[in-house]
Amino acid sequence: MKLLNGAKKKNIVDLLYKNLSYVIQGIAFEVRKDFGLVFVSLWLVLIGGLLFNGLGAKAAQLNFISQAQEISVNSQFQVDLVLNTENEAINAVAGKIVFLEDLLELKEIRDGNSIINFWIERPSLNSSAGGGSAFGGKSSILYSGIIPGGYLGNQGIILSAIFQAKKAGRLIIEINDAKVLLNDGKGTAAELKIKNLELIAQGDDIRNVSWTSPLDTNPPEEFKPALAQNPDLFNGQWFLVFATQDKGSGIDHYEVREGFWSRFIIAESPYLLKHQKLDKKIKVKAIDKAGNERIVTLVPVNPPWGLIKYWKLAIILIAILIIILIWLNYKRVKCLKQKS
Amino acid sequence: MLVHLKYQKLLILNILLASFLGAFLLSSQAETDIINVTVQISVCGDGQIGGEEECDGGNLNGQTCQSLGYNSGSLLCSYACEFNTSACTAGGGGGGGGGGGGSYIPPAPPETKVTFAGRAYPLSSVIVLKDGQIAVSTIAGPDSLFEVSLSGLAAGNYIFALYGEDYQARRSSLFTFPIYITSGATTRVSGIFITPTIAVDKSEVKKGDNIAIFGQSTPQSEITINVSSEEEFFVETNSDNDGIYLYNFDSSPLLMGQHFTKSKSALNGEISSFSTVLGFVVGTENVAALTTNISESDLNNDGKINLIDFSIAAYWYNEPNPPEDVDLNDDGKVDLVDLSIMAYYWTG
Repeated sequence: MKLLNGAKKKNIVDLLYKNLSYVIQGIAFEVRKDFGLVFVSLWLVLIGGLLFNGLGAKAAQLNFISQAQEISVNSQFQVDLVLNTENEAINAVAGKIVFLEDLLELKEIRDGNSIINFWIERPSLNSSAGGGSAFGGKSSILYSGIIPGGYLGNQGIILSAIFQAKKAGRLIIEINDAKVLLNDGKGTAAELKIKNLELIAQGDDIRNVSWTSPLDTNPPEEFKPALAQNPDLFNGQWFLVFATQDKGSGIDHYEVREGFWSRFIIAESPYLLKHQKLDKKIKVKAIDKAGNERIVTLVPVNPPWGLIKYWKLAIILIAILIIILIWLNYKRVKCLKQKS
Repeated sequence: MLVHLKYQKLLILNILLASFLGAFLLSSQAETDIINVTVQISVCGDGQIGGEEECDGGNLNGQTCQSLGYNSGSLLCSYACEFNTSACTAGGGGGGGGGGGGSYIPPAPPETKVTFAGRAYPLSSVIVLKDGQIAVSTIAGPDSLFEVSLSGLAAGNYIFALYGEDYQARRSSLFTFPIYITSGATTRVSGIFITPTIAVDKSEVKKGDNIAIFGQSTPQSEITINVSSEEEFFVETNSDNDGIYLYNFDSSPLLMGQHFTKSKSALNGEISSFSTVLGFVVGTENVAALTTNISESDLNNDGKINLIDFSIAAYWYNEPNPPEDVDLNDDGKVDLVDLSIMAYYWTG
């Protein structure tokens, strides 16, 4: 039996060897016969190899993270849009978050801990454009912003959105038209992989679970508004720029007051000043979503009266004048007493 | 039948070639410009000994009063993560009276703080940006070392960026990193190595002539200069006692056209990232470079690239017919690319 198995094995090896040698000889024959075919093959393989290598290259990734394990109809849940830069520094992002209106309702957007330092298009409830039935019932949240110096990391939160499930079924939240640009001084677009979010909302257990915002008792960060003038903006008129962050609930809005007698009005940066003479004290108020406020003040560049600008000097001069008058009066009274 | 056989052999040939090519591509990694720079981040208040901390909260790293040379007592840890030996006693009782001895200095209350330490250039300004806006600045010592702190912060995620200004007010590229600041804790970021500044003496160099590449970094460091076009050139020089470096690069091997240069610094095993990238042209004549440091991104010409410039550019974002000076890459529109270019040259 053993001899038979050994012989069988040797036969199989011989057979394989012979077949392989025939194949190689056949290939060599075809190569000699038709170099053109080989030439085309080489190019096809080269192109294929390069594509394969390109596809295998690392790319930045945008995906959603949700802590929600079970979603039920009418429950609220938080979804974070997270950037993983995969060893590249990214300094500009833009895109659109899209979801179906009849399945999901957007309740709130939080950007307090966003890696974006300056929003070009700040994502908000108001920025969500309801497409209506003409656009397949989709709503979208636009966002775009920059990170001066770039962000390099794998857990960069761009924004957090609070949704409420309206119906049972597959809830899909997509990222469309997304772009991330490298911090290379040229704005080169980085390769980007996107992972959309898919959740299942159960309709059996209808609970009304509300998302609770974390307690925030801290006001927004300190900031310094700046006055500027530029022919490319507001036809060269004076305007005010301001920006700050709130690490708790995020900035809700800003308000500006020009002068003592006016009141605070809601404002966005850049803000065109009503009083172009720069003779009013300007106060800027940053309010976060929890209602905490930070107010900063800009003194007037051209105060209305010279006396106010030099008020300290005026007070000193008046004080000296009063002292002189008191002294003169004292001298007069003393003189009168001596005479009497 | 013959044709079918022919393409079978062709398929086998292609598979063999693909295997060889795939093995070659996977084994050869393309060179990239990524330099992994390590900074050390330690948080005082997290209970873990890290960086230069001697202790952290109740974690005394196995030390006691006795191990520090005292006789008895309770070793404490200050809010700065340093040993507090005020409750340690040295020597014996000493005959009854005068018990205790010395006064107990209560530790300072905890504060939310972040400290940055590293090297820049001798006596240079080091500016710290918090979320893109200037938060604090300091002056480095003659040895180029600096340390600066920022306190009164709320807990949360921040993007901090540092840059230096050299002896001719040239700015380095931004050294940026994200940090989570813990409430009531001091976060220390050390090992920061500010990138060198870089300048060239010509915007166009006549092929065959030298172009001077110079700037400032930390003293006595090894400067690697990269000149790139289709082929990359790496040359090395050393900075002097003032951190200044200069290299006369022979343009002979360069092709006619646009080229770029950047530099990095190394000292005692520490290495910086690459500097900002400068462009120059190899042509038919020598043209002196502009001495101004103003970037095109400085839209209001105030010598800074900050929120004001951003506001102007953002106003024209995706708007038709933007002004030419706002269109930083001259493609006829103001879009995310222009804002990205501005973000690269940001100064705060």
